[in-house]
Amino acid sequence: MNMQSVVSVEKVVRRFGSGTTEVVAVKDISLEVVPGEVVLIMGPSGSGKTTLLSMLGGLLRPSEGRIQIGEDDLTLMDESQLPNIRLQHIGFIFQDFNLLSALTTLDNVALVAQLTGISRKESRKKAKVLLEQLGLGQRLDFLPHKLSGGEKQRVAIARALVNKPDMILADEPTANLDSHHGRETMRLLREVAKQEKRSVVIVSHDERIKEIADRVLWLEDGEFKDMVEMAVDPVCGMSIDILHAPATADFEGTKYYFCANGCRHEFLAAPNSFLQVDHE
Amino acid sequence: MIRLAWRNLFQNTTQIALGVGGVALALLLMLAIDALLAGSEDDLVAYIEDSGADIFVSQEGVKNMHMASSAITRSDLRLAAQAEGVATVSPILYTTSVVETKEGDVLSYIIGFDPMEPLGGPREIVDGTLEIHNKEIIIDQAVARSQEVALGDVVEIFGEEFTVVGITAGLTNIVNSVSFITLRDFQDLRGDDRNVISYVLVKILPDYSAKSVAAEITARNPDVLALSEAEFSRGERQIIRDMSVEVLNIMNVSGFLIGLAVTALTLYSNTLHKRSEYGVLKAIGAKNIHLYTVVVAQAFISLMIGTVVAIGFILLLGQLLPALVPGVAVTLTASGLLRVFAASLIIGGLSALVPAFQIARLDPAEVFRG
Ligand SMILES: Nc1ncnc2c1ncn2[C@@H]1O[C@H](COP(=O)(O)OP(=O)(O)O)[C@@H](O)[C@H]1O
Ligand SMILES: [Mg+2]
Repeated sequence: MNMQSVVSVEKVVRRFGSGTTEVVAVKDISLEVVPGEVVLIMGPSGSGKTTLLSMLGGLLRPSEGRIQIGEDDLTLMDESQLPNIRLQHIGFIFQDFNLLSALTTLDNVALVAQLTGISRKESRKKAKVLLEQLGLGQRLDFLPHKLSGGEKQRVAIARALVNKPDMILADEPTANLDSHHGRETMRLLREVAKQEKRSVVIVSHDERIKEIADRVLWLEDGEFKDMVEMAVDPVCGMSIDILHAPATADFEGTKYYFCANGCRHEFLAAPNSFLQVDHE
Repeated sequence: MIRLAWRNLFQNTTQIALGVGGVALALLLMLAIDALLAGSEDDLVAYIEDSGADIFVSQEGVKNMHMASSAITRSDLRLAAQAEGVATVSPILYTTSVVETKEGDVLSYIIGFDPMEPLGGPREIVDGTLEIHNKEIIIDQAVARSQEVALGDVVEIFGEEFTVVGITAGLTNIVNSVSFITLRDFQDLRGDDRNVISYVLVKILPDYSAKSVAAEITARNPDVLALSEAEFSRGERQIIRDMSVEVLNIMNVSGFLIGLAVTALTLYSNTLHKRSEYGVLKAIGAKNIHLYTVVVAQAFISLMIGTVVAIGFILLLGQLLPALVPGVAVTLTASGLLRVFAASLIIGGLSALVPAFQIARLDPAEVFRG
């Protein structure tokens, strides 16, 4: 596929259960992601982020509406066609990296290329090029348990990219990484996505990903809402809606927001120790 | 996918060792008894097959030697000699009896043969002489060793003393041994009519087939049955098989069940352990058939290794056991191997069923749900 495709979500609804126990996890959502665009979806727990991501990935069918990747309408597809769509058009990145523990870095990536039917030799060649590009040339023969978290996630990125998908989906990709590696890894993802014009949809709580996103969407109760202004609790790192912050404090002319009084007390006891952490 | 199967298997060395060990043990059960029996069969027919005879003539209805009693006469021998294609005819007397030594008793075929005739006696000795006279005996090496009997020592048969003058090799099996005395002594021991003999060993002329000459001998004389050496030794082997068929079946069935249980369990637990990884593969776009390939390949790889280990062990046993236990031989048979390979195939197919079901039911959407 030479022309990169636009990903479009049209009036998508997803319900779970029926009758009195019915839950509407996603309500009438529309979204378009253009090639090369990085979209970050944020929102509280239970707001429907994972449900939306699963539908985008062809893992879950919408109750209503359409999801298209270029010409392919996922909602019209047969169950047996979906694996191929996922394999060729979508790259997945998971919170737990989810590498195959028995395979080396190279084989983890090459296996996914080989699933498309190309030869083992060619798969390995493709995987090697990609891994070297992601700075893992020295780690090709390592098993996952010998890799650091950041390295694992880079292998996962290589795996997601190896079949040149139109769209990359990432669910909480930095949740198991420290802030430095999380930011580095996401920057790398953005770079490759931009270079090769792949659409990226990331679901995350992580405020720091905002800086690499072209667009940030706020999902709440299954609907996109206006982005509330958010701040980061300097003590625990949680995102805080500044209008409903449980605790605040002023320090050297700046206002800080906290998730609870506990964090505020901790902060006030030694403000500088928390403010330096992020600028090291 | 095969690579993934291989790596999955060898990721956990304890598991592969247990799995392969269990399978090898199970297959060993199927192979070992068979190999032991085949080995004893070979030993049991050693006298017949090494005798040099092309045809064995026995009393009508008698198809072998073990546990059989055959009585024919010298006139039957002369009739056989007249058949077309017959070169020589040699009489033997035969019974199964106890050879008493100072150390204890040994069950043995007692063959009475005429040293003047070309066939009937031992063909080779490892010690002493083939030339045997009255009151002399040739015994087998395995007996000589286990009973600490040497050349010149005296043993007893039916209460009569015989001096050991020769030692043969390879004529002892798990059931019994073979000892040779003169036809004359045998007749005296029994007090039989000199006219009676047990079998006639026939040598045929070149360019004649044993089968057709045997048929000719039988056709001339309704009192006898003539069988080619091949048929006669097959009849002898059949006796051992008939006696052991039950044991063999029990071993086969239990070996099969143990092999199935071990393979199915290790495969099941391995698949359970890898559940989330298979889920990830499914989400990424692997089809069920890809994942089935992985589990089926895992089953067959461990079975193949188990089979090789089992066969290797049998071969090793074949080298070691006869040295440790006299009269025991281990022979790997084509039918035993075939059965083990067939069992492996069936076990592999069956044990992959449950994991295939586990995989088919995996919902790829679960990957995002932790
Ligand atoms: N398979 C399911 N069956 C029933 N309810 C579900 C299922 N998946 C999600 N939900 C419900 O849908 C809502 C959205 O869930 P989810 O998409 O996981 O939210 P988030 O990822 O933003 O935390 C929640 O109320 C959740 O309980
Ligand atoms: Mg979620």
